[in-house]
Amino acid sequence: MALLAVRNLTFTYPGCTGPALQGVNLTVEKGEFLAVCGPTGCGKSTLLRLLKRELAPLGERSGEILFDGMPQDALTDRESAARIGYVMQKPEHQLVTDKVWHELAFGLENLGLPQPVIARRVAEMAAYFGMESWFDREVSTLSGGQKQLLNLAAVMVMQPELLILDEPTAQLDPIAASEFIATVHKINRELGLTVILTEHRLEEVIPACDHLLVLHRGRVLDCGAPRAVVGRMADQPELLPFLPAAAQLYHAIGAQGACPLDVREGRVLIEKCGRSGLSLPAEAPLDEKGPPALRLREVYFRYGRNDPDVLRGLSLCVREGEICCVLGGNGSGKSTTLSVAAGLNRAYAGKAEVFGKPIRSYRNQSLYRNCLTLLPQDVQSVFLCNTVREELAECGDAENMLPFDFGPLMDKHPYDLSGGEQQLVALAKVLATKPRLLLLDEPTKGVDAAAKQRLIGVLRALKAQGVTLLIVTHDVEFAAACADRCCLMFRGQIVSEGTPRSFFGENSFYTTAVSRMSRGLLPGPVTVADATALLRWEGEA
Amino acid sequence: MRRFADYNPVAVAVYSLCAAGVCMFTMDPVILGISLVGALLSLGVTGQMRRWEMHLYTAALLAVMVLVNPLVSHRGQTVLFVMNHNPVTLEALIYGAAAGGMIVTVMYWFRSFTAVMTSDKLLYIFGSLSPKLALLLSMALRYVPLFGHQAHQVSRSQQALGLYKEDNLIDRMRGGMRVFSVMVTWTLENGIITADSMTARGYGTGRRTRFAIFRWTRGDVLLLAATLLLTALTVICLSGRDVRYYPAFRLPPVTARAMAGFVSYGLLTWLPAFITGKEALKWHCLRSGI
Repeated sequence: MALLAVRNLTFTYPGCTGPALQGVNLTVEKGEFLAVCGPTGCGKSTLLRLLKRELAPLGERSGEILFDGMPQDALTDRESAARIGYVMQKPEHQLVTDKVWHELAFGLENLGLPQPVIARRVAEMAAYFGMESWFDREVSTLSGGQKQLLNLAAVMVMQPELLILDEPTAQLDPIAASEFIATVHKINRELGLTVILTEHRLEEVIPACDHLLVLHRGRVLDCGAPRAVVGRMADQPELLPFLPAAAQLYHAIGAQGACPLDVREGRVLIEKCGRSGLSLPAEAPLDEKGPPALRLREVYFRYGRNDPDVLRGLSLCVREGEICCVLGGNGSGKSTTLSVAAGLNRAYAGKAEVFGKPIRSYRNQSLYRNCLTLLPQDVQSVFLCNTVREELAECGDAENMLPFDFGPLMDKHPYDLSGGEQQLVALAKVLATKPRLLLLDEPTKGVDAAAKQRLIGVLRALKAQGVTLLIVTHDVEFAAACADRCCLMFRGQIVSEGTPRSFFGENSFYTTAVSRMSRGLLPGPVTVADATALLRWEGEA
Repeated sequence: MRRFADYNPVAVAVYSLCAAGVCMFTMDPVILGISLVGALLSLGVTGQMRRWEMHLYTAALLAVMVLVNPLVSHRGQTVLFVMNHNPVTLEALIYGAAAGGMIVTVMYWFRSFTAVMTSDKLLYIFGSLSPKLALLLSMALRYVPLFGHQAHQVSRSQQALGLYKEDNLIDRMRGGMRVFSVMVTWTLENGIITADSMTARGYGTGRRTRFAIFRWTRGDVLLLAATLLLTALTVICLSGRDVRYYPAFRLPPVTARAMAGFVSYGLLTWLPAFITGKEALKWHCLRSGI
């Protein structure tokens, strides 16, 4: 029997003309893993929140939602809280208490369970998720990935029958994100728990899910087995960037047959294809002569006298007018590099120069006028006003520098925008100081595939206007698509650098999906566009 | 090895209040002496002994108390010398020393108490009063550092965006005000997420219970019982013992009853040291047996 059935659900937010959801039908069987995807604003979150009664938004609603054969409203408060678990996007703000153990116990305390029962369930959960070593810690000392895992465990401890996750990995780095998805997958398989998950990064989710539901402008576009659904997306150009690289390539060359979903299947596809005979246009060589915009020489930095070094003899040179991407794992010192380059932290040894002048010689905040700015990882910290209009009014005419229409966003609060929109508004604000050197920290965090494409366009446009960009990112696909120079950071040093094609071509693990798919088969493509140019579909051989 | 700090927080709190409380309400130099030694021992037990700047500060406080009392109080019959037409008496000096000793001893007791009582233990004690209060305190303990951290982040972001036009105080304050005002918005905005997360997990659906990771073991009950017994004995035996400072300093004779009071207070104040010593000895024996 279906655990959850949604019949003809239509929902309109108050004050909106069009409905956010229109005629949605959906059935979820017990033990099923359903992934919901679609671009930002397609109604994913609205749908998910409507499924969890406590979080349902206010508005006009028709149609019905049946949980376990009963109308949703027939559940008691306690049942509804315990039987449907819900995990949201932001790891930090979902945590309620100060200690890990207390967070785990919170839901059970609310249900009024006796102490021994709580003790047992909390212990079980901590053991299952491998949290014993940080059981006593304060939640503020955890990493983003650990926080989100704790949010999941704090919901799981209530033994829900349905687990709903709304973009749980949007704020995590790729490694923590794939670990998180793997944990959800494990719960689904080992406990038979029913899972509904929304995600805009499909590479990880598609192999794990049983069904894929595509929402577009509030309607169900397609629903079914992931391979079939992905294979049918050829005529939806705006949804293509959301697909795994192998599927994008499949559609780009117009291939037939079963759609490949991961790197392994992508390799099979490439082997089957003919070669187009074209070769990739030569990349511009690295600029080693031009005047440096930022030069770090043998820089050492640590946060406290007794802490270990975060930067250990870092040397980095960014030439004027180029886009330089620094990649690397967590804790490799990427963000610290930016804060040192922006003069927010001071290196205890080594030289840091901006446009040929030592950072220390920029007096009286002149470093931040018409010279350099930093767009931090948490873009919320950029906003000071109540509407986008006020925010942009502060920037003067800087918004004109961006090829993007802010019109529809003008009267919204900056916090209410989607991740991609926030990034662009923040970028506009940052550009107000007319920087010649722009430092970006993880600009693709919480940004969906379509917005990422737009962001790449914006960054290229800035480069064309003569702005130098130093970008720190985890996102290899993004770096491959926009960088002139890529650097790999490891333990506080740059260990390799090169143009995207040579850089990613030489890396075997830390590289793009297309590069992994075509290793040994094609000469050095790193993006889907590269591979598309090299291949030709000649029909099933 | 079970340290004194690992005992149940309620037992430890009752112990600290009793040990410091007896000291607070007496001016008997013998009791004060016993208490001071006990307080220093328990500082040693909790690993606070080597904080020299703290000892320096306390010594300075004691010196001030000893010196100031004879300057403001001129009671007492033994005049040491006359200053500005005012007699400085021996009794006032002794009284100052006793009062100063009392304050310093109580301070030491609270030092070792705060070293042992981490936030979650305090929460456990106050949470016994009401589960709601426990949750409120826990949320506050989480929120305050979070607010500080975010305010610092915003300030840094804004610095790099040129919010602070120049390096002067007025400009910094103006920037600081804007950061503070946006932090209020940030709090409200993200508070909604926390509230959602709470309702999603059934907050407010019924009576809450409280989960704690501290338990009552036999040792905790023993500690609590010993504390109450020794405190009661001390109070009973020493009530009515009258130490006079003015006009002449006079210690009442040490009767058997008073002796019993001193011994029981001595046992009480040296309990943490006994417990630690016993455990250390046990540990040592176990190790040599391995």
